[in-house]
Amino acid sequence: MVKLFNAQQLRLINKYAIRDFSRSYKKLWVVASTLFISLLLLSLTFSVKEALNNEIEANAKELLGGDIQITSGIDPLPSLVFEELKALGKVSSSIELATMVSKKGQSSVFSELRAVDDNYPLYGEIITTPQGAAEKIFLNTDKPTVLINESIQNLLQVEIGDDVVIMGKSFNVAGLVLSVPDLAERAVFGEFAIISKSSYDQFELSSAGSFLDHEYRLKFNNSNEEGEQTRLAKSIIAYDDTIETRLPGESGRSLNRIIDNFSNFLNLVSVSAMIIAGIGISNTLLSFVNQRNTSIAVKKSIGFSSNFIQLMYFYEIILILIGTSIIAYLFGVFSPLLANEFLPKSLGIDLQPTISLIGYLNIFFIGLLVVLIFSIPSLYSISEIKAVALFRNTFQPVSLNFSLKNIILLAILVTILTTYFVLQTDQKYYTVLYFLAFFITMLIFYGVSKLLIFFLRRLHKFSNNGYRIAYRNIVAKKSLAPIMTISLGIGLTLLLTLSFVANNLKKEISDSIPSMAPDLFFVSIDRDIKSDLEAFIKNIDPNVALEFSPMASASFISLNGTPIEEIVSKNNRSAWVVRGDRRISWAEKPKPDNPIIEGEWWEPGNEDEMFISMDSRAAYDLGMKINDKITLNILGRDVTGTLKNFREVDYRDISVNFAIIINKAFANKLPYEYIGTLKSDLSSNDILALVVERFPNVSAIKVDRILSQISGVLNKIFIAVTGISLIVIVIGLIVIVSAVMVQATFRRYNNLIYKILGVDFPTILKAMTIEFAVIYFTLIFFALSVAVLGSYLVVENTLQLTWKFDLGLTLWILLTTATVSFVLILMANKSIFSPKVYPLIRNE
Amino acid sequence: MSEAIQFNNVSLNYGSKNDVVEVLKRINFSVNSEEIISIVGPSGSGKTSIIMLASGLETATEGSIKINNEEIVGLKEDKLSEVRRKNIGIVFQSFYLIPNLTAIENVLLSLEANQKYNQDDDAKALLADFGLYHRLNHLPSELSGGEQQRVAIARALINKPKIILADEPTGNLDSANSASMMDLLFNYTKKSKTSLVMVTHDNSIAERCDRIIEIKDGQIV
Ligand SMILES: Nc1ncnc2c1ncn2[C@@H]1O[C@H](COP(=O)(O)OP(=O)(O)O)[C@@H](O)[C@H]1O
Ligand SMILES: [Mg+2]
Repeated sequence: MVKLFNAQQLRLINKYAIRDFSRSYKKLWVVASTLFISLLLLSLTFSVKEALNNEIEANAKELLGGDIQITSGIDPLPSLVFEELKALGKVSSSIELATMVSKKGQSSVFSELRAVDDNYPLYGEIITTPQGAAEKIFLNTDKPTVLINESIQNLLQVEIGDDVVIMGKSFNVAGLVLSVPDLAERAVFGEFAIISKSSYDQFELSSAGSFLDHEYRLKFNNSNEEGEQTRLAKSIIAYDDTIETRLPGESGRSLNRIIDNFSNFLNLVSVSAMIIAGIGISNTLLSFVNQRNTSIAVKKSIGFSSNFIQLMYFYEIILILIGTSIIAYLFGVFSPLLANEFLPKSLGIDLQPTISLIGYLNIFFIGLLVVLIFSIPSLYSISEIKAVALFRNTFQPVSLNFSLKNIILLAILVTILTTYFVLQTDQKYYTVLYFLAFFITMLIFYGVSKLLIFFLRRLHKFSNNGYRIAYRNIVAKKSLAPIMTISLGIGLTLLLTLSFVANNLKKEISDSIPSMAPDLFFVSIDRDIKSDLEAFIKNIDPNVALEFSPMASASFISLNGTPIEEIVSKNNRSAWVVRGDRRISWAEKPKPDNPIIEGEWWEPGNEDEMFISMDSRAAYDLGMKINDKITLNILGRDVTGTLKNFREVDYRDISVNFAIIINKAFANKLPYEYIGTLKSDLSSNDILALVVERFPNVSAIKVDRILSQISGVLNKIFIAVTGISLIVIVIGLIVIVSAVMVQATFRRYNNLIYKILGVDFPTILKAMTIEFAVIYFTLIFFALSVAVLGSYLVVENTLQLTWKFDLGLTLWILLTTATVSFVLILMANKSIFSPKVYPLIRNE
Repeated sequence: MSEAIQFNNVSLNYGSKNDVVEVLKRINFSVNSEEIISIVGPSGSGKTSIIMLASGLETATEGSIKINNEEIVGLKEDKLSEVRRKNIGIVFQSFYLIPNLTAIENVLLSLEANQKYNQDDDAKALLADFGLYHRLNHLPSELSGGEQQRVAIARALINKPKIILADEPTGNLDSANSASMMDLLFNYTKKSKTSLVMVTHDNSIAERCDRIIEIKDGQIV
């Protein structure tokens, strides 16, 4: 395709390509459909991601609720500081806490509660049913009012106008809150209620300390000098470095990260789908070229050059690409409307479809690269077709052309594709890794096919006709075993990997309610009421299993004198243990369900020295050793202690677990509160209702509620992963059919000859079965190995779950894939069952 | 008279060094323009090989081949395509029409290869002369063997080549069809002053030619 053609020849190419396409579009449906499906997938993910980013960017201030947000923690800002902030602009102060909301004496639910002043919200609006209900909470009536979200309404079975009890005070439900602009992330899937700050103050509501935050949002008077104003605001609160600030765009950062991760995952899968589709394109084009073997030879004998013919077919593919990519893009553009249905309503996000030329070109460019990469080896095979074959009536099938020139060209194109893709994602490292793994897997399967042929050649003494035919088909000079192996292999590997990941997720959902799990979690219990509470519950149910652990807040400062940030990278699996505030506990004896696997427990009664016990997994991840010196900041004071032992902690058993435990004798000096678990044969609902009525400040979460929240999220992921697997399966199957089609033309010829020679139908069928079985069984081992490794890495490292192998599922996938592929192969070869001699002789 | 084809000490070998098949051994002959020649000989003697060499689709192992006084041994594929396009029309034993093109489109292909774009009427006229006026828009699968071969000959002739190469053009036809087809071929080559080199097994056809070249074991006898 190097040679330049003049305008008239280009017009001729256009004419031939369109004529050829209009007369043989049936043969190109594989190219068109695989391209379409994979481009659609790509377009869907790109469009949704772009719409999300646009929405978040456009609503940055609404999502934060101000030009700046200041969080001072448990204590409010001193009034002097508050006044200073007021000079900069309008301030809305609020208190964010977690507490129980109950229907008096009946049921209660642990909920996120926000107490807001009447400046709230500074940006955006509270959307409620009935409309305008938000104002009611500020009305100074005898009875304070509350807005609850749908989840609380459902769990407590309360209606608008009913009363609920919050921290011992009765509130009237003024309405349902559908969304607030600046929703806390932890409230997205959970329970959420709003009251006014004045009712909070007036009733002297108070909750146990550790779950309370004072928040201040500012809307600057002078919005022209935002940068300067921000700097001023920051300088006002600079005196205390525990006060945190957030700016627009930083809000919902972790939400952003989740969206990015997920869409990145989708993008990678859709590029994989594209590449698999590419294999299909490559196969189809090759079979297309082979079916046109004589026509191409004739054109050459008339005087057309290989370049001309190649360019014509290439042009035809590009026409298909343009057509399918436009349709796929238009479908994809409207996908944000669909995505809206799946996003939690409480986010208040309304995605808008956007059509842009750049957006389309992005899809087209990726499609073009994939098409180029996979059509070059197929179309260059045209140069191997010899017109002399027309004199001898023998046609050698051509195979993929991997000349040095092509290999260099392909390497360049693959690099461009990878780079282009990597540049668009935030996780460049993982993306490069993924592409590498993908291409290595492809290479592995190419190698597998060569190995198979090599070994078969060594043991070729077959007495049986069926075996001999199968053997010949595989080891033949221009065998199609490599194409079969790569297509089937990649399809099977991706299918297995995704199924393993999805299955492990599903397992996590169904296994996440261990029989020993408690019914209730007490979130924070003041040490003064602990014994009263204990007695109260024991009175209700004398057989109750009740366990309380002391708890204090601490943060990790250094390991052996080196600041922890320098030792632990952000990507470390256990980085969460040493980042931010961690709740620590203490004990004098090791817990039986936390076996010590290295080091020893400490002798009781040493008040002056701190001993530390660490979660073993975290300790190994963070590179800790027994007797290391660890410095913790406990209540503003740096304390250095000695690491004494590693415990094995299984967080999934849903009891109270701590990564860090210290010795009791030392900890007794610290201020603390309790957390606890309860398991009872009585209804936990009833117990909780009684407890909350008697102890309004005690908060407890019902375990099944947490689990249903977790499984709600996991279920969404599971649905997405399964959906993607399905698309990959569909594309994989189309590719397998295309691989079969490559073979069909020659097979028909061969099988016909066998038939003429007197080999009967059962023998041909047997030969085909053996051939498929040999290739498939070889594949199983390699596909399974890659899939196990891949899914293990994803499950253990990315999802942080425990990977388990499921033999039943594996066998099921292997069996169904084999059956479906083989049936498809037989169907694609159906013409061999009643071979007609006539068309063959007429060279049709 | 100028020479349309010239073979000088042309040899053609197949196979590797240790296992050489000598198909043509130092062949010398020439074809004058407007001359009609038939090549006869037993099966496997090398007749088709001569046609392949003359068309430039196969490369001689040794010697020189001139088409219209232009040396073609050693030319690159593109250049060979050009020589073939401008000088040669080929007729195969098995017709080899392009299955998804109609009769007229198959003929036009030959013109278009030579960048001649607006000669549909010439093609129609030629096919009409060949008795195919009512078959212009039929696909090859809808034509009989004789009709297919007439389209194939039209495809070779439409471009007014200097030379027609035909390898057993009547080999797949019955005697009635082959006689009428040969009439066409002889008439048109005469009329358009074209040379014709034709491989045949049919003595009655060979005898109608200006000259017969007999070949045996890769040598002219
Ligand atoms: N690719 C090849 N390799 C080896 N020998 C060949 C090849 N092609 C043709 N031959 C041999 O060349 C000889 C001449 O073939 P051909 O020119 O087709 O004969 P003819 O047309 O006279 O029957 C035959 O013996 C044939 O076996
Ligand atoms: Mg012959």
